[in-house]
Order: sequence, then C-alpha cells, then structure tokens
Amino acid sequence: MRVAIALAALTLYAQSPPVTYERLLNADREPGNWLMYSNTYNSWRFSRLDQIDTQNVKNLRVKWLFQGRHQEKFETTPLVVDGIMYLTRPENDVFALDAETGRVLWTYSHKNPEKTYNCCGRVNRGLAILGNRLFMNTLDMHVIAIDAKSGRELWKTEMYDYTESGGYAATGAPLVVKDKLIVGMAGGEHSISGFLDAYDTATGKHLWRFHTIPQPDEPNFGTWAGDSWKTGGVATWNNGAYDPESNTLYWGTSNPWPDYNGDFRAGDNLYACSVLALDPDTGKLKWHYQLTPHDTHDWDATQIPILLDAPFRGRPRKLLAWAARNGFFYLLDRNTGEFLLAKNFVRQTWVKGFDDKGRPEVIPGNEPTPEGNDQVFPGVDGAANWMSHSYSPLTRLLYVFAREERRVFTKTAIRHADEDVATPATVGGREGGGRGGGNGIFGAGGNLPADPAAGGRGRARFAPEESWGKVVAIDPLSGVIKWEHKVLTPPWGGVMSTAGNLVFGGTLEGVVFALDARTGERLWYFAGNERVYASPISYLSNGKQYVSLAVGDVLVTFGL
Amino acid sequence: MRPLLIVIGCLASLCRAQEQTNPFDTPDSVAQGAALFQTHCSYCHGARGEGGRGADLTIGQYRHGGSDANLFTSVRNGIPGTEMPAVRATGEEVWKMVAFVKRLGTAGLREKAPGDPAAGKGVYEGKGGCAACHSIGREGGSLGPDLSDAGRRRDLKYLEESLVSPEADVPMRYRAIQVITKSGQTVTGVRLNEDDISIQLRDLKDNLRSFLKENLTEIRHDKPSLMPAYGSILNKKEIEDVVAYLSSLRGTQ
Repeated sequence: MRVAIALAALTLYAQSPPVTYERLLNADREPGNWLMYSNTYNSWRFSRLDQIDTQNVKNLRVKWLFQGRHQEKFETTPLVVDGIMYLTRPENDVFALDAETGRVLWTYSHKNPEKTYNCCGRVNRGLAILGNRLFMNTLDMHVIAIDAKSGRELWKTEMYDYTESGGYAATGAPLVVKDKLIVGMAGGEHSISGFLDAYDTATGKHLWRFHTIPQPDEPNFGTWAGDSWKTGGVATWNNGAYDPESNTLYWGTSNPWPDYNGDFRAGDNLYACSVLALDPDTGKLKWHYQLTPHDTHDWDATQIPILLDAPFRGRPRKLLAWAARNGFFYLLDRNTGEFLLAKNFVRQTWVKGFDDKGRPEVIPGNEPTPEGNDQVFPGVDGAANWMSHSYSPLTRLLYVFAREERRVFTKTAIRHADEDVATPATVGGREGGGRGGGNGIFGAGGNLPADPAAGGRGRARFAPEESWGKVVAIDPLSGVIKWEHKVLTPPWGGVMSTAGNLVFGGTLEGVVFALDARTGERLWYFAGNERVYASPISYLSNGKQYVSLAVGDVLVTFGL
Repeated sequence: MRPLLIVIGCLASLCRAQEQTNPFDTPDSVAQGAALFQTHCSYCHGARGEGGRGADLTIGQYRHGGSDANLFTSVRNGIPGTEMPAVRATGEEVWKMVAFVKRLGTAGLREKAPGDPAAGKGVYEGKGGCAACHSIGREGGSLGPDLSDAGRRRDLKYLEESLVSPEADVPMRYRAIQVITKSGQTVTGVRLNEDDISIQLRDLKDNLRSFLKENLTEIRHDKPSLMPAYGSILNKKEIEDVVAYLSSLRGTQ
C-alpha cells in the first residue's frame, strides 16, 4: 500500500500535457485550443477553425450556458486547453469548466476589499496560462498563480498598494512571455504613476518595472510641466502582443491625468496614449509612438496591438496595425516604430493632417470646456476602446467594432488623491460604477429609453440617431474601409474572425452575430437580450467547433 | 439605524451591543441550537452545515463576519444581496443557533490530543503517504480534502474515525465514483459535478475528466471514499500521533 501511494504521488500532475512556452509560441497550430487572451502572440483573435462557415452558420445554435450569477459587467475572454475552459467571473473568481457541457470542475475565489479604485466597474478580462499554472490580476493589485488542475492558489504577489494616490487596480488579462508574466495596471483616472510589470511565473518574484512616465534623468522626462509627472496617470490596463522574432513586447498606454484638464501638465506627456515597444527580458524601451500628444479627451491607446507581415510600398515590412480610441487607424513599422500611415475610421474633428513623423496637426476648438464641448468627435469612450479587433489572414482585413458616438467633453476641476473615489462592492447592475456610470444599456451612450427599474438615467442632449456602432473591415495597408456593418448602439464588445470566413461579435442589446468576413453581410444572429461586454473565442470539443461569448452575466456557447 | 431596529426586534438584554458575545453558549444551548438549525438552516446549509445552496459552515470562515454579533446579525436580518433570508426566530433562539454554528467550524478547538504531533507529522509524510492526496498549506495532493485547518474544524473523535473508517463521513466534494464506458474502460475518481447529461471527475492521476452519460454503461457509487482504512496500515500509537498532528493544524485564522 505504501509503495502504491508513493507511486500515486509521483504521477500526480504528470498526465495531460502542460502548456509549454513552445505551445504558446505555436498557438496557431492548435486551433482547437485558445491559449491566450488574443489567441496568438500577434493578437489576431483569428480562429483557424472552419467547420462553421458561411454556408452552415445559419444552423448555429446554443449548446450550453454558464450562468455567471453576478451583476457586474462580464468582460472575460476564456482560455480553452484540451477540453477544459478556464474563465474569470467578476470580481476575481476563476472557474474551470468542461468545455463540452459547461459543467463546473472547480472554482477559485479571490475576495477583494469592500472598496477598490477601478474607474469603470469591478471587472476582469481573463487569464494567462503557462505549464499547469493560470495567472490572474486582481482589483486590489495582486497577481495570483492558480493550479490549473485543482484550482489551488500557488503564489500571490502584491503589485502595488492599491489605495495609494487615489487608487490603483488591475483588470486586464496578463500575458506570458517565455518564463515571465507581463502585467498591466489601471488607474489613469486618478493621480497615480503608471507602470508595466514582469513577474517570475514560477515564484511570483517581481522582475522588472517599466515606468510609463519617465523618471528624472530619463529621456523624455521634460515632457511634463513642473511636478505633473509625479501624478500623471498613464496606466497599462489592457493586454499586449509579442514578436518572438525580434523579441519585442508591444503594449499600449492610457491617458495622462487629469483626464480632461491639461492646464498643469503642459507638454506632450510621454509616454501617455502611446504604443510602447519593450524588451521583455529587461523592460527596456526600444521605441515609442505617441498617438495623441498632450491628450485631454481620455483617448487611451490601450487597444490590442495587431502584428502582421506584408509588403508595403514595394518591400516586405514587419507591421503593427492599431485602430485607436482617438478615431484613427495607424500603421507602423514594428521594428523601428516608423510611422507609415494614419486614416480615420469614424467621424473625427480634431486632426487636420500628420507630419512625416506621424505627429498630428491638431485643429483648434476641440478642447473640453467648463460648460461642455459637444462638437468633438470621436466621443469620450472613443472610436475603439479595450475591446478586441481581429485580423484575418484569409481576407487580409482588420475587423474593428467601432463606436460612432456623440458625447460631451467637460473640463473638470482637478480631483485630488485624498478625495474618496472608491467603487463600493455593491456597485453593479446597469451602471458601470465610477465615472458617472453610463456604461450600461440604459445609461449615457445607450440608444434606448431609460429603464425605470434601473433608476431611469437617460440623456436627452443628443438624439439616439447621432450615435451608433459599426463593424468595419479595414485594409491595413491603405487604411481604406472595405465594408461596414452598422448596429444600433456604440458597442462594448470585440470581434473574432475565423477560417470559415466569419466575423463574430455581440451588441449592447445582446444581438450575437456572424457576418460574412468578405462582405459584412449578417448571416446569422441570436437574440441574447443583455449587454455584451466581451470578445468571442472559438475552440474544439470532441472534434466539433464551438464559439463562446459572454452575454449579460451568461457565457453562451454555440455549435452546429 | 441598525442598532435601533435590532433593539425593537428583540429583547434589549439579548442583543444590546454590536460586539456582544453570545449569552447562550452552554452545551444545552448548543444542543437546542442544533435542533433549531435543522428547522431553519439545513435546507440551504446542509444537515451538518456542509453547505449546498448556502455556504459551507464547517470551514469556520464567514464572508460577512465571524464574531458572535456578526453571526447574530446575519441570521437575524439576513444578508442583503444574497439568498440568505432573515430567520423567523426569537432573539434567544438566534443566539442558540449562533452557538451551534460556531461549533461547526471550531469543533476541535476545545480539545487536547494525547498523541505526539511531531511523530504524527512523520507518519503523515512517510509511512502514511497522506500528502499524496491531502494538502496542508500549498503542499500536497488534491484528491482528498485540504487539512490546513482540520484541527480547528474537527474534534479528535472525528479525526480518528476518518483515519480508521474513512467512509463514515465523506464530504460531497470528495465522494468517489467509478464510471464504466461503453468501450469497457473503468475510470475511478472523485466526483466534481454531474447532471442528467454528463458527469465530471478528478481521476486517480489528478486529471480532470468529463463523460457524456450516453457513452457510459454504469456509474458506481458503492465505495464512497478513495482513502484506505488506516486501522490495518498504522498501529494504534501511529494513529494517535497522526490524530495529534492533524489536531495541531489550526489554519491561519
């Protein structure tokens, strides 16, 4: 008996193959799994599965539901590894599910304090995996490693004091590069000082920190007037991309603080609203490109970077495509940071043109004003936000679920760190929490009448017809829009394209759709009837293709 | 506002102060509390407080506060935003239920084990092979329950019984099953989840497995515990020592 038990102990965890770094590098060769937030390191959010295609998608139906039973926005991107789905549910709960049936295998729960300091809801966007370890960031600024088989906590590291300087939080999915975990943070609405961190995946030990605001004696320190650099914001709250060939990590940064009042932070405010190219081994900056110098519109550059290789103006280039919150699609050389082109994909009022270096020539009159400037496009929540775009190598088009939105920019008084701006644990329901709510269906930005049951918060300033959403298919080499598919309301969900020539996504009213990736024609829909605040994934279970997307507080999985 | 409501709702002497300790904490009160628990609580929290629709009360950790006064408030007023309703009982009855519930998570705290905990640790890690299936802190297997706070939650009698007759009380989460597939394969493990369509288990090699019932010929539940009965593996002294070691594990609380 003793021998038998000892043998059992030896074989523990030795069975299903762990997710090695090699597997992550070659994630596109196992399309049945979804191994990282954007599926592959180039962030295409493209599935090579083609069982569901333009011919049979009309037969797509619900296979199973995962009932989240939570009022907060459900922004997760699940991972799928060899038949098991791992996902986060607000606030920081982790579930392992049987990917065939949705039945729960284990759960893990991290309890946050009553007060956390997130701007826009007590949300989480997902996990990373390496070996048998799952990784999650928390609202109270911890990084946690969880055993993928048992759901047991393996290590927990505090990134930073979440209460400091008005408040820090972490809501994005982390990214594994080699043996390191790259972790961003949120808090650009507060007088914080942003950074991007790396941790040892085995031990949780902190390895490096890149300060998104240059410290004294560092290059570009002088882009902030006076002491404004100390409290300049610049968070890193979404996910990034990685190019193994050049060993470069790409990550976007948020707005400078204060968001809508730039008076005391004269200068370009680097590296706010920028694309960063970093060495993942050391955290050293290789190059940067600032999309919006001296931003006063909260136009974060925290979109997901898309990496692609293609001939451009006669020679092969390593490219980085970026559809930004400020309304412009950008194409850069990702090895050098060279600006190649920019073209708006929504209405815009603030740029006349770009110089050779890609610096925008700004049109006067777009600044926020104390009484509220309602003549600025795009709106506060931007043309794009955190929601994922998708690139299909079959159509060679970039799909962006864009926001055409009319809103008001108000120059606000500067809010200091000692004011209590915490988000209470009880927040939820249809208001996003923080920043005046307004992220839900019935709040500002929604195109439906106010819901009396939800407190009746409506806005009469603009007609609903002045704001809408659209899936646009952009040719990344020219910035030209090939087609667009209009939806009722500016969206909060992302898109995924597939080898079946389909583009999946969901609207704020809960319409889950599949479009023809070549034409934008809607080929299938499902009436989910609750807000979609997430981006879809696709995977195989028992050899059959499934598509999953969070709708309301339910993760819905579709199949043929 | 809240203290005023409580005073109105019950005798002032029973629930005067927010941090009051339980005035009904005698063995008699605990026994009466156990009966009241069956009436008011067991539907959601399980007959032995093991949880179900409601929280597992045997863990001794309470999301909404674990002091006597906190528990009194939770039972008396319910917990807003959850399914926990206000319980219709007198103040005295609520205090007795609180006394019983506290025992559920602290059954081992009042006892001193006669064995040698250091020697028991040796048996646990060596001859017993316990760590292959059980964890303490972050070390050990996951086929059996975590034992980090076993000494707080369980009394000596329960701990010894678990070693000698493991099938006497198997927590729902750790019940063993065998599934037999239509192709003739038998897979043994701990049941993680089940409905009419499928069943999920953790097999003996710690793999997470899921089976559609249409692919199974049989699901067997006749041996509910995977744990060997240690009465024939360890001698009396060794069992006493392991019990002493387990009793010394009080968790982080």
